[in-house]
Amino acid sequence: MLQNELFNNVIKDFNTGYWELHKDPEREIWSEKFYSSLGYTKEKTEPTIDYFLKHLIHPEDVDVFRDNFLNYRHNTVNFKQHIKIRSKIDNNYKLFRCATNDTLPVNIKSEFDLIFFFEVKLEPEHTITKDNFYYKETAQMTATGSWYVDFIEKKSFWDFETRRILEYPDDYIPSLKDSALYYAEESQQKAANLFFNCAMMGTPFNTEIKMVTANKRMFWVRAIGKPVYNENKEIIGIRGVFQDIDEIKKKELGLQKSIDIIASQNSRLFNFAHIVSHNLRSHTSNLSLLIQLIDEINNPEEKIGFIKDIKQISHSLNTTIEHLNEVAAIHTNKDQEKKVVRFKNALNVVTNGISQMISVSKTKIIADFSLLDKINYIPAYLESILLNLITNAIKYKHIERDPIIDIKTYIKNGKKYLKISDNGRGIDLKLFKNKIFGMYKTFHHNKDAVGIGLFLTKNQIESLNGRITVESEVDKGTTFIIEF
Amino acid sequence: MSKKIGLACIIDDDTMYVNLVKRIVEAKNLCKNLMVFPNGKEALTYFEAILTSLDKNTIPDIIFLDLNMPVMDGWEFLENFTKIKNKFEKTITLYIVSSSINPVDIERAKSINTVKDYLIKPVTLKELEAIFLKRAI
Repeated sequence: MLQNELFNNVIKDFNTGYWELHKDPEREIWSEKFYSSLGYTKEKTEPTIDYFLKHLIHPEDVDVFRDNFLNYRHNTVNFKQHIKIRSKIDNNYKLFRCATNDTLPVNIKSEFDLIFFFEVKLEPEHTITKDNFYYKETAQMTATGSWYVDFIEKKSFWDFETRRILEYPDDYIPSLKDSALYYAEESQQKAANLFFNCAMMGTPFNTEIKMVTANKRMFWVRAIGKPVYNENKEIIGIRGVFQDIDEIKKKELGLQKSIDIIASQNSRLFNFAHIVSHNLRSHTSNLSLLIQLIDEINNPEEKIGFIKDIKQISHSLNTTIEHLNEVAAIHTNKDQEKKVVRFKNALNVVTNGISQMISVSKTKIIADFSLLDKINYIPAYLESILLNLITNAIKYKHIERDPIIDIKTYIKNGKKYLKISDNGRGIDLKLFKNKIFGMYKTFHHNKDAVGIGLFLTKNQIESLNGRITVESEVDKGTTFIIEF
Repeated sequence: MSKKIGLACIIDDDTMYVNLVKRIVEAKNLCKNLMVFPNGKEALTYFEAILTSLDKNTIPDIIFLDLNMPVMDGWEFLENFTKIKNKFEKTITLYIVSSSINPVDIERAKSINTVKDYLIKPVTLKELEAIFLKRAI
């Protein structure tokens, strides 16, 4: 029996048969597993070396095994040998690796001499091809390429699919030195951090990152990597996969964009409902107060005097409703056809319309559309945006100087911008930042301030998925930046 | 109605509303004098100016404050007014009168102890009358 209980248990569950060699009289005990793995029974088999050599072992292996066996038995010379043993199950030979006490990977401290028979599972040729085929197929179907970075050889290895998704030829040898170039510029730092942490601390990673193909095409990849250790638990490399998730990621980003648009539309709608309720309410409440007053007063002449107040309220109510209609129209009109509009032409339309106002106020308009001269937009909106911002700049000019309005277009990070700056009196943004684009919010004492222009402008821009921001300093001027 | 309020103050940019309240006050003879400011800023300037005044007649008994106003809105006025209100020789009762039915506004107003109550426009004649009478007694 084996002394080592643990090992004994392992052997029991393990698909490995063994012999116990006994002296005086010399005999061997074949383990249960040895019988069962070959399909023999104790009853019909003679557990002796002679029987084994004669009936079970392949004739090719007889001589060597006999020598090894006898040497082990008599001189305790340990040995390792591959032998083929005939199996009763299908009458074919199975390959085994024989090992004795001292040639095992672990010290088993046995009181007997043992010979283990480890079955060597040799896959038939066709099974290997089949597995390989599945692996390739899986890699191709999921667009998942494997790679390995070897820190000892200082080399990087890619499989066929990694080369394919990164659009490199089959014979391309990846360069460890230039590995940053496989990533989009904005992802290079992230990639470097992930690889560094994995290489130094063994932190595995699983992330979505933008890569660049040989053809300079950017695409989204799921990059998964984990450290590879040697026997001394030192990290000797990183192994992982790249999966092409460009389509999914683009859909996800598109979906996120739709959600943002819906959220902003919803918020505008909610805001609009509030505005409608609030603005109509102020007129109806005046009307109701007026009627109470008329009821209270007995003098008929005085009563008739109130008719002019009713007219006034009716007029205000109409104006408010017109404003609300304009706002509502933005949401309907946004499906209007976009056209390629030249900024210069749109500006001309606007300045011609308010030429009187411009000349009276001695306004100077400096326009520079050299970096971006046209845009695909709803022409009426672009004109309305320019009109509102220019008239605002004139209305709120600085008392001590004539207005200068600087209009500029440009492209930054692939996005189109329009910037309108003035030298007017400015707005205290600390106080009014949240209100500047609100409806009926006015910040100066001007009589003609209505508080609708910037509100409409913002709504028009946002209905076409753009943004407007403001920078201002009191007494210096105001700058509006529109991102289309 | 032996005692009558001396001075009431309206801070509101809606001229129609202001005129109507004026007429009601006159018709019902609710107070001796009524002063009007079109926004919080002008009202605040006035209150800061009369801080040192010894003439009690220049200090209003009641303020009706609107919330949505240009230049300085009701909230900002409240913030500034709260800082100075205890320096006056008499108690000033402040009501918010707004057409906002936004619960956020109402909650916020009621949490400020300078605010006696929040009235939603349209205010009724009876309400106005009751407020003036309550303060007068």
